[in-house]
Amino acid sequence: MANDQEGFVLAGTIIDEQTEVTLDDLSVFCSVRRERIVALVEEGVIEPKSGGSKEWRFAGHSLRRAAKALRLQQDLEIDLAAVALVLDLLEQIDTLKAQLQSGNRG
Amino acid sequence: MEFKDYYKTLGVARDASAEDIKRAYRKLAREFHPDINKKPGAEARFKEIGEAHDVLKDPEKRAAYDQVGAGFQAGQEFRPPPGWDAGFEHGESFSDTDAAAASDFFEALFGRARGARRGGGGFGGEGFRARGGDHQAKVLIDLEDAYRGATRAISLRSVELDGEGRPHMRQRSLNVQIPKGVRQGQQIRLSGQGDPGIGGGPAGDLYLEIEFNAHSFYRVEGRDVYLDLPVAPWEAALGKKVKAPTPEGTVNLQIPAGSSAGRKLRLKGRGIPGEPPGDLYAVLQIALPPADSEAARRIYREMEENLAFNPRAKLKV
Repeated sequence: MANDQEGFVLAGTIIDEQTEVTLDDLSVFCSVRRERIVALVEEGVIEPKSGGSKEWRFAGHSLRRAAKALRLQQDLEIDLAAVALVLDLLEQIDTLKAQLQSGNRG
Repeated sequence: MEFKDYYKTLGVARDASAEDIKRAYRKLAREFHPDINKKPGAEARFKEIGEAHDVLKDPEKRAAYDQVGAGFQAGQEFRPPPGWDAGFEHGESFSDTDAAAASDFFEALFGRARGARRGGGGFGGEGFRARGGDHQAKVLIDLEDAYRGATRAISLRSVELDGEGRPHMRQRSLNVQIPKGVRQGQQIRLSGQGDPGIGGGPAGDLYLEIEFNAHSFYRVEGRDVYLDLPVAPWEAALGKKVKAPTPEGTVNLQIPAGSSAGRKLRLKGRGIPGEPPGDLYAVLQIALPPADSEAARRIYREMEENLAFNPRAKLKV
């Protein structure tokens, strides 16, 4: 906690597809009980890369996807099947926006 | 502090039913949720909506708000009357919503309550040794920083509990190494920089989410970088070696003869570094020289007369 001194540079690790995170990592990151994460897996919102349910390993970007899913579920009061759909559509919109941005520029 | 008109925030009448309030909240939440609406101001608006809903959906809080708020207009200077809350029970049950810190107005009425998204909610009662909560923050970097790596000073504010369990704001600054090869939307994990553990448990982690500043000529898709490269008609037609910028410096790029607009030239491995590195694509744009001199007009006329060229051949006209 106490690395406030000037000049001290912290190095972190990039969370990417190769990074593996566990059910517990997701649960701590999202500040929810493990059961809420298991529910996300059961609805296909996030998918484990490997392992049985005891030893699940997820790709690093699942952290953000899970946290976003839980926010949407709570704030919009929608069920997880709808959350999964919303997340997929949001991803498509991001891709399309990026393409549009390049198309409009010439 | 300013009085907040929660009914106005949700756009409902003072005598709105619980159903009306729920409907109004859901509609506004869908519109302004910061995960959906990326416009500036959406997040602030969403917080207001969430706070209004928090109060109005709960019959007790709504009654308390109605009692103290009668006669106030939105924006008016507000001070809660002493002892106003006698008879209303409120405390830990008010932390059910997730948006960040509540307004001063909310806190004056209902105490510290909303907020503290992080902080191990859901781990209560699991014993007295627990891992500290994780924290998250966003960091803006330039595309060039992803090529070279960079150091960023980051200032973080977080709510922490003091010895007696009262919350207070803590500000700290960290110098963080942004590793080479980081991509838009990725997170960097700083182990042990989150909340302290409880009862000797390990500290939580700090996650920094990377966002690139918009660049005036590069566009990023995952590891790949795109550049619109203008070329003259003769460069596209006859082929030419031209200069092209890349985030690592200028390169010479061979435009093949017979190129047309929109052709993508790939510079392998010149995208964002990594294993494997991304590619850089130069997308050709044909720039027309203006016909603003007699010489230029003559050349255009010569082309018109000498080239059997129908640009609309594909349209069959």
